[in-house]
Amino acid sequence: MASIELRHVSKRYAPTVYGVRDVSLRIEDGEFIIFLGPSGCGKSTTLRMIAGLESVSDGEILIGGQAVNAIPPRDRNVAVVFQSYALYPHMSVAQNMAFGLKMRGTDPGLIRSKVDQAATLLGLTPYLDRKPAALSGGQRQRVALGRAIVRDPAAFLLDEPLSNLDAQLRGEMRLELVKLHRRLGRTIVHVTHDQVEAMTMGDRICIMRGGAMIQVGRPLEVYANPAETFVARFLATPPMNLMPAVLRGAGGDDLVVETGEGLALAVPSPYRSAYAAYRDKPVILGLRPEDFYEAPHASDWQPVPFTVVAVEALGAELVLVGQVGATGGVAPQKIAPPQEIAVRLSRHVVAEPGQMLTLSLDPNPMHLFDVETTRLIPRPAPGVPARRVA
Amino acid sequence: MSTAFGSTRSNIGLHVGLMAMCLVIVLPPLWVLRTSLVPEPQAYSTSVMPGFTLDNYIALLTRNKFGVFYLNSVVVALGSVVVALPFAAMTGYAFARFRTGGRFARFLVLATQMLPPVALVLPTFAIFRATGLTNSVPGLILAYAAINLPFLTWILMGFFEGVPIDLEWAAMTDGATAWGAFWRIVVPVSLPGLAAAGVLGFILSWNEFLFALVLTGPSTQTIPVALASLQSSNGVQIAKVSAGVVLAVLPLVIASRFIQRFIVQGLTFGSVK
Ligand SMILES: Nc1ncnc2c1ncn2[C@@H]1O[C@H](COP(=O)(O)OP(=O)(O)O)[C@@H](O)[C@H]1O
Ligand SMILES: [Mg+2]
Repeated sequence: MASIELRHVSKRYAPTVYGVRDVSLRIEDGEFIIFLGPSGCGKSTTLRMIAGLESVSDGEILIGGQAVNAIPPRDRNVAVVFQSYALYPHMSVAQNMAFGLKMRGTDPGLIRSKVDQAATLLGLTPYLDRKPAALSGGQRQRVALGRAIVRDPAAFLLDEPLSNLDAQLRGEMRLELVKLHRRLGRTIVHVTHDQVEAMTMGDRICIMRGGAMIQVGRPLEVYANPAETFVARFLATPPMNLMPAVLRGAGGDDLVVETGEGLALAVPSPYRSAYAAYRDKPVILGLRPEDFYEAPHASDWQPVPFTVVAVEALGAELVLVGQVGATGGVAPQKIAPPQEIAVRLSRHVVAEPGQMLTLSLDPNPMHLFDVETTRLIPRPAPGVPARRVA
Repeated sequence: MSTAFGSTRSNIGLHVGLMAMCLVIVLPPLWVLRTSLVPEPQAYSTSVMPGFTLDNYIALLTRNKFGVFYLNSVVVALGSVVVALPFAAMTGYAFARFRTGGRFARFLVLATQMLPPVALVLPTFAIFRATGLTNSVPGLILAYAAINLPFLTWILMGFFEGVPIDLEWAAMTDGATAWGAFWRIVVPVSLPGLAAAGVLGFILSWNEFLFALVLTGPSTQTIPVALASLQSSNGVQIAKVSAGVVLAVLPLVIASRFIQRFIVQGLTFGSVK
């Protein structure tokens, strides 16, 4: 019922102090979109501007095609779930959930049935008469959600709703929110700084930094093609390994990426023309930890000598932190110690700190970034077909 | 164990010390209470309880019309709070949430508290005489409300600043107007603070002497003025004065019980997320 559109929206706190700067975005009706970014990047401010709680300094916001800049929050038909939950402390759970409908003059009988319905959906029925102070964190979070659901708004704006929950509860609520979205079919804007939430919950991710929008796209698209080194590092744990490198010619059209650590990576042939302009120039090489393997699976994979520094056995997988190169230790002519990278291997691998391994690198997902702008240097998509479960 | 023994000993020492301190504080008021219950001729006696009588109280309430003055004081103190508190709440809220008036307005509010009351009482008297408000209980209520307003505003501003703004935002997205969010959410949530401020305002009015002296007449006196007038030209009747003091202090004792509870509540409510 409501698309949300931001047109060159800015929030200025002082003539030159921006909380949000020139954000343009169209959120489709029924879409689940994630605003992802580090703390202080303007996510909450953007959300509050959509809700009408904060004035818009420049630009225009449209909800359902209608410009809402001058419309007060109560007439925008959006519900907000705040990070602090903002439950009314002097009201019971039922009263909290009923407040929005009461403000709109809904018939008391109808209010009761809607509150009961939402309480059943969220498992809150036993707590309807309690005050928020007598609830656990997870229950308060549900009440905040229930208060939004009861109103049946055109869009839900959720500001880090899961960040105050413990890890297990957060995992459960992630799933519940996704189910809820499927069930209600309403537009959801979900603000988070958690990459797992960003990758798993939304139709699209909108990544912000310093008040600006950096990249918008489907989670896997963004993951596969991060627009900047910032996105490359932010979107995963462990983050993409970024190494200063130089692109050198190696006879004919062949290109090799050479890092300071002695890694020489032959550029897959489909990328050569895309990277040709950067021949003999410094670049940043980006390799995901999961593109390293313990053994080669294809002929173009390349051996990488690797010295283990630390082992993180996570059960399902094994993360090794270490240095590229056979020797380990600090090369005498260098001031900076060799850069450490993370690789993600199968849980069956056994490794110890100090051990030297020869890993196998799939070069096809590699990326190069411009040193100056830190932006991705575009290249064709890798030719490897995605595997489907039969 | 020696440490346990040592700590018990120091505990005893601590308690003896505390009891001594309590005596220092409590003894004078207790002596006033005792004097109020002793016949006038024996009031200055050094024995603890040379006699017992309620005559002092009875005389105060009948011959000295203390009942009337008591009622005046209660009406004036309550009235001034009832008049001032709503305005103080709205001003304090505006100061806490908006940039209304800027720093200057906030300074002005505080500045009124820096003037000596004498500087204010004469102009007030002139205004009251011109408008016929002297020697009237409503007049004194107005004057006290005006005195209380800046003080209450300042207290409530601090209190409202502690109310999470998310609550109002939630109310406003829930369909309330800014006024509705204030009235339905901020005010109920701030009840402990409003009550504490109200009690403080009551005490302030209850104890006020100078304005009451200048602005009231024989029938509209308040307790502080009536107490002072007991010290007449034919000497101080100490037993009667003591009885008056006991009566005057009584509501404050009750008020302090309330204020403790409200202030503690007011300080802890912020933890309710
Ligand atoms: N009232 C304000 N005055 C000045 N700067 C502010 C104000 N409110 C927020 N900011 C700034 O705006 C930026 C964005 O804040 P916010 O939207 O809360 O970030 P996020 O939710 O992404 O953590 C922050 O750098 C913050 O310091
Ligand atoms: Mg935030």
